Amino acid sequence: MGKGEFTALNGIELLFTTGEFAGLIGPSGSGKTTLLNIIGSLDTPTSGDAVVLGKSISSLSAKEAARLRKENLGFIFQSYNLLAVHTVYENVEFPLLLLNYSSSERRKMVMDALEWVGLTDKVRSKPPQLSGGECQRVAIARAIVKKPSLVLADEPTANLDAANSHNILQTMVTLNKELKTTFLFATHDDKVISYLRRKIFLLDGTVDREEIKSN
Amino acid sequence: MGAGLRTWLNVIVLSFSFVIIIFMKGVMIGWDHQAKTDMTNWEIGGGQYWYKDYDPLDPFSLNESHAPVPAEVAEEIARGDMEPFLIVPGTIYPQGRLQSIVIKGINPGQSLFLLPSHKLDTITEAIPAIIGSSMAKNIKAKVGDRITIRWRDVNGTFDAGEILITEIFSTGVPAVESGQIYIPLKKLQQMMIMPGEATILTFRDSEINRPEIDNWTLRTKGDLTASVDKMIKTKTAGQTILYGILLLLAMLAIFDTQVLSIFRRQKEIGTYIALGYTRQQVVGLFTVEGTMHAILAALLSAAYGLPFLVWMAKTGWTMPIDTSEFGIAIAQTLYPLYSAGLVFSTVLIVTTVTAIVSYWPSRRIAKMNPTDALRGKLQ
Repeated sequence: MGKGEFTALNGIELLFTTGEFAGLIGPSGSGKTTLLNIIGSLDTPTSGDAVVLGKSISSLSAKEAARLRKENLGFIFQSYNLLAVHTVYENVEFPLLLLNYSSSERRKMVMDALEWVGLTDKVRSKPPQLSGGECQRVAIARAIVKKPSLVLADEPTANLDAANSHNILQTMVTLNKELKTTFLFATHDDKVISYLRRKIFLLDGTVDREEIKSN
Repeated sequence: MGAGLRTWLNVIVLSFSFVIIIFMKGVMIGWDHQAKTDMTNWEIGGGQYWYKDYDPLDPFSLNESHAPVPAEVAEEIARGDMEPFLIVPGTIYPQGRLQSIVIKGINPGQSLFLLPSHKLDTITEAIPAIIGSSMAKNIKAKVGDRITIRWRDVNGTFDAGEILITEIFSTGVPAVESGQIYIPLKKLQQMMIMPGEATILTFRDSEINRPEIDNWTLRTKGDLTASVDKMIKTKTAGQTILYGILLLLAMLAIFDTQVLSIFRRQKEIGTYIALGYTRQQVVGLFTVEGTMHAILAALLSAAYGLPFLVWMAKTGWTMPIDTSEFGIAIAQTLYPLYSAGLVFSTVLIVTTVTAIVSYWPSRRIAKMNPTDALRGKLQ
């Protein structure tokens, strides 16, 4: 195979405001994960720019991008990406360690986050001892523990059954309302789509159409 | 193989390196200390004056290497803090064979050396003599044996007599026994017609600033033990290769583990980056993790290595073959000497090397695309 260039996204113009519960919807290869990664400063666009919380992703240094992620962004991944050797408590505590919170502050924030996702009884468990739904709830707790401005969720329900998916999504809707955290999903799961208030349909790297659910 | 098992295998190999390096280095330090102590006690004291023509490596120089003991040192000799030796060539005839030897005249009452010279203080019609165990083995002599001896006096006249072996001593310093016999100094001076003369003067105290004496060359303790230093240095260089091989094996294992770990933990690396770590911080994290092998190995070494090292220091390491034939100052049993400096420097060096080896493959992380890492897509 050659190293030919591939245009993942083209001509995208989107604006998200605080507190949105939005999703990038599309089939595999439509560019939704690429867009999510750019917004999450894990990737940079070859042309154009993404401005996240007033910061231009294209012009951020690696250090500045890491700081943006550390302070303002939360990530939820399809395969949870929990640290298997650490307990639930330690996994959720991890982002706070990077932010140099004191031990007592961390304890309170971790327990609050675990309470939001209903896992206070699993603090000492390790990820391999948890079910898929529980793992994803730990991942959500880890994403929101520092109360970030924006949570990016890439196919968060792909590995979950219907009951767990709804449970997780309910949790996220509640957090969105209570914490005013913006949630942005990349998904093609109908269960997730049904919860979204703003749906952006991507096709071959471009915005195909957009739907906004009226309250 | 699980990561845990691999880690412990690495730690065990590394801990072997720790223990072997400290043990072997301890043996070298012990040998050095023992050799110098033995040389001090048996041969060189705190240093020597050599008569100007004396060359221990040239037997022909012995005929001319003698002079009256200088007046400047008479008081020190009287106090017993300096011992004159007269050294001359001679021949013995053990069991009808001829063997060239060096005859050393020593004061029987001396207390500067461990040589059992008091055994020369014997009333006998023969010349009392003491010899080393290796020499005794060579000439098949035992205490009480009488052996014909021939010498040539200061006038060039050959004369002969009979020695009586009054003692056979054991020493770790071959230079004091190989091809040598010790007889009373005064007797030798009388035999050689060299009254009051000596070839070398050995003093007790190495700390005193020694004056220059006409026709006598000062040899400090440092000069006289320089050969031991050189020998230890050469041996140490050889051992360093062994340490290098040991460390190389351990480091190869750690390097391999790090490479595999980075490959297998791509998602974790991606997660760290997503959570706000810079790539350099992740490199640091993996480097520290790799370096922990050395810390764990040091702890493991302490658990089984300390008792072993202490036991060896107490019982010593006995050479499987007779060291008296080595021709170098080495005892039959070597007692390793360990210092805190040796332990700390070994731990520091091994830990530093481990950190470098852990860092080397971890640098790959700095080049990783975090989105590929998150999906575990890197090859």
